Amino acid sequence: MFQFDALSLIFVLLIALGSIPNLFYSSGYLPHIERKAHYQLHYFTFILSMLGVVVAANGLVFLFFWELMSLSSWQLILTEVKNKETIKAARFYFIMTHFGFVFLLLFFLIITDGDLHLGFVQMQSIAKDFTYPTLLFFFMLFGFLSKAGVVPLHVWLPYAHPAAPSPVSALMSGVMLKVALYGFFRFLFDVLYPWPLEWGIVILTLGAISSLVGVLYALSEHDIKALLANHSIENIGIILIGFGMGMIFDTLGLATLSTFAFIAALFHIFNHMSFKSLLFMSAGALLHQTHTKNMEKYGGLIKSMPVTAFTFLLAAISISALPPSNGFLSEWMIFQSMLGSSHMDNTALKLAIPFAIFALAMTGGLAIACFVKAYGITFLGLHRSNNAKHAHEVNFLMRSGMLMMAAVVVSLMLFTPLYIAWFDQVFVSLGKVSVYQQMFPDGIWNIHSVGTNGGVVSPLILLAALIGTTALMLFAYKIFGVKSRLHRTWACGYKTSAKTQYTATGFAGPIRRFFSWLYKPNEHFEKQRIAGHETKFSTSHYEVHVKPLFETLLYDSVATLVNRTSYWVYRLAHFEQTRYAAMIFNIMLIVLFSYRVFSHDFSWATFVLEGIVMLISVKILIIGDKK
Amino acid sequence: MILYFLSIALLILLAPLLLSYIKATKMWLLFKRPISIFQGYRDFSKLLQKESVISQESSAITYYAPFLVLSPLLITLFFLPPIVHNAYYVSFVDAFTITGLISLSTFFLMLLGLDSGSAFGGMGSSRESFIAALVEPAMVLTVFSVSLMAGNLGVGQAGVNLAEHFPKEHMASFLFSGISFFILLIAENGRIPVDNPDTHLELTMVHEAMILDLSGVYLAIVESAASIKFVIFASLFASLFMPFGLEFTAPIAILIFIFKLFLIATVVALLEVNTAKLRLFKVPNLLGLAIVFAFLSLITFYVLGA
Repeated sequence: MFQFDALSLIFVLLIALGSIPNLFYSSGYLPHIERKAHYQLHYFTFILSMLGVVVAANGLVFLFFWELMSLSSWQLILTEVKNKETIKAARFYFIMTHFGFVFLLLFFLIITDGDLHLGFVQMQSIAKDFTYPTLLFFFMLFGFLSKAGVVPLHVWLPYAHPAAPSPVSALMSGVMLKVALYGFFRFLFDVLYPWPLEWGIVILTLGAISSLVGVLYALSEHDIKALLANHSIENIGIILIGFGMGMIFDTLGLATLSTFAFIAALFHIFNHMSFKSLLFMSAGALLHQTHTKNMEKYGGLIKSMPVTAFTFLLAAISISALPPSNGFLSEWMIFQSMLGSSHMDNTALKLAIPFAIFALAMTGGLAIACFVKAYGITFLGLHRSNNAKHAHEVNFLMRSGMLMMAAVVVSLMLFTPLYIAWFDQVFVSLGKVSVYQQMFPDGIWNIHSVGTNGGVVSPLILLAALIGTTALMLFAYKIFGVKSRLHRTWACGYKTSAKTQYTATGFAGPIRRFFSWLYKPNEHFEKQRIAGHETKFSTSHYEVHVKPLFETLLYDSVATLVNRTSYWVYRLAHFEQTRYAAMIFNIMLIVLFSYRVFSHDFSWATFVLEGIVMLISVKILIIGDKK
Repeated sequence: MILYFLSIALLILLAPLLLSYIKATKMWLLFKRPISIFQGYRDFSKLLQKESVISQESSAITYYAPFLVLSPLLITLFFLPPIVHNAYYVSFVDAFTITGLISLSTFFLMLLGLDSGSAFGGMGSSRESFIAALVEPAMVLTVFSVSLMAGNLGVGQAGVNLAEHFPKEHMASFLFSGISFFILLIAENGRIPVDNPDTHLELTMVHEAMILDLSGVYLAIVESAASIKFVIFASLFASLFMPFGLEFTAPIAILIFIFKLFLIATVVALLEVNTAKLRLFKVPNLLGLAIVFAFLSLITFYVLGA
């Protein structure tokens, strides 16, 4: 029923690291919540169900805990039930998570032959005999990655994560998405191995697109929690880039590089858990104090909330992949594994990988821009509203939760070799080559890339050097006793006030304008002119909304299509019963034919024949003669 | 080891000189009376003696960020390729770390711009973040292609490898990545087609806008960070894309290296005199060019092997 192999245990560790600081934070957050019993019940069910998913040893247990996880998180989103937006977000989440569940169920029914008690090893032999393994792969893709939030199945994330209470957002974004990835990895390794080359390319492409789309939408976002949720999409993309590289290397027989890329992906899973949880906790602290999620209403909070500001800064540096943080190390490893692509023989693939490198590098640059915006607008400058003016530091439990998570971030930075040794063990237990010796040939100081003539990074030395140099300069500054004086900000003769500062909208302006083909921004600009002057005005109001492309394109158009079809069917059923009956006949034909194609041998001749039969019958029976 | 520290000290000392030299050359070309090339040092010592005025709206970031802007760049100096053949050098640190350290410095500079609550600072940070985001991919791709040609990802080792066995057969892709890197040098250091370092007009400034509220020691620190950043890029260009002169003995090799730095500075000055500053929204075209050249360089390397 349960199993505790290395892959399960490493995810148990992940869940433990993610939820123990969260417990403290959550109990500090509790006074803020109205329905306490409801919240507590679902909160603990949620954590336990995630543990259940990663240690499940057969399909039934896995699906049970998976569904429990979905339902308890759905209820947790509904904690603040009075808000209309919350209900909408929860409904969206419910539909999306069950959309994925349908595919998972199909996947399990096929690979277990209907007997859900089978262990993973027995599933492998059934999966091997199945004629269309790529179909299974796509079932998994829809099932697991819709939960993990990969483009184009990511649309629910920026709604659901902000709607949940902050400790839950931290858990959902930090841990639940990783549990979804666990499922994906587990069944790829245990059931569907070996993989064709195309699967790896699909994963790599999805990862590259997700990372860019995630960060671009994050930049245009002013709701701080929605911004962070969009960054989760980005980071899942980065993880998938690493994982896809690993799959490609594995099929090409470059064993060490493939393990290296897998370790990079797993390391980034841990890193993203740590800093994203920390960011959501800090965002929750801001929300707790200012009662708003809108970044334009923050400002100057570093003075009143120093602990929150510090933890947010740490996490921001880490998520922007700046050295020597842990986020930098895992992104460095993913870059190095991509540079290993020069060892491939396949020229087309070799030429394609630089585009993924481009996507990842662009993501890094945009993430820096995004977090300068998030940190600068939120914590620096002057208070932008009364809410921000009255904010003060959060209570002890919440603070200690944040500091504990900060400790997790720092530990991932300091004890990288230890973590990598564990990750290495995981992949050795899955039958891959060990690369620990190659990564740390001379002690723990330097991390080597496993490619020939690969790069080297020495995080601890870098950290020590940075701290040392800065401390030395600060010391010199103190010793020389430089005179300084406080005065108001010099703004070329103008008075600085909260209104004249740069806003988050303004900060992202250049980027929004450059990517306007993607954003399709919807702008409203009104001003009350004084005596008809073009440049003199008393008040002005500027609003910009970014249209979520994927939502309008994929989801809304699907909804419209369904509406139209159902109207057409309704019309047929009520007014033209003969054609309606003909349609039922045609649907039965489709079912029969597809059953034959699906469960018997496929041959183009019969396929074409059936297609022609279908076309004729549709033409004659349903469409009929033109009048 | 002595040569190693000597070259770092040399680079630090040369940093203000190079920027003043560019300025002087530009003035001379425009028939103005040029400033002394030692103006950089004079400014620095003057700023050190001044009282620093700190904005009352600013926070702890203003106290610490200037040091954090400078220290990653100082550390980067230790990882550069050697100037002299048998000098000690850190062979293994790769270009991602160097790019990362430079980004770290820019990150704190951008926060510094937002700290005082002035609209100018925000404007500078916003523009800088826009440019930096587009520089990043070009940088990584260029580095990738150079490291392929040099046969090593470590920057120090790559410089030595290129000097010892110049990849004549890869001249085409070498040239492409050289062009790409030069565009990045201009963009990262805020030279003219991208940013105008001499102006304080809000329509044009990027770097100056971020540091408008600094004074005294803090300004001195951030200004020297800017000059050190230039020297880092110039010496990377000199070592990776003009890989000659390493084989001579110490004094001559150093002189050749300094000559190369001044050559780069002259080219930058000539470019600044002869081009107009681009509008902010035209800058992506220039950086797009850098990205295209980086891709071209990789493609020629892979497909043509040239």
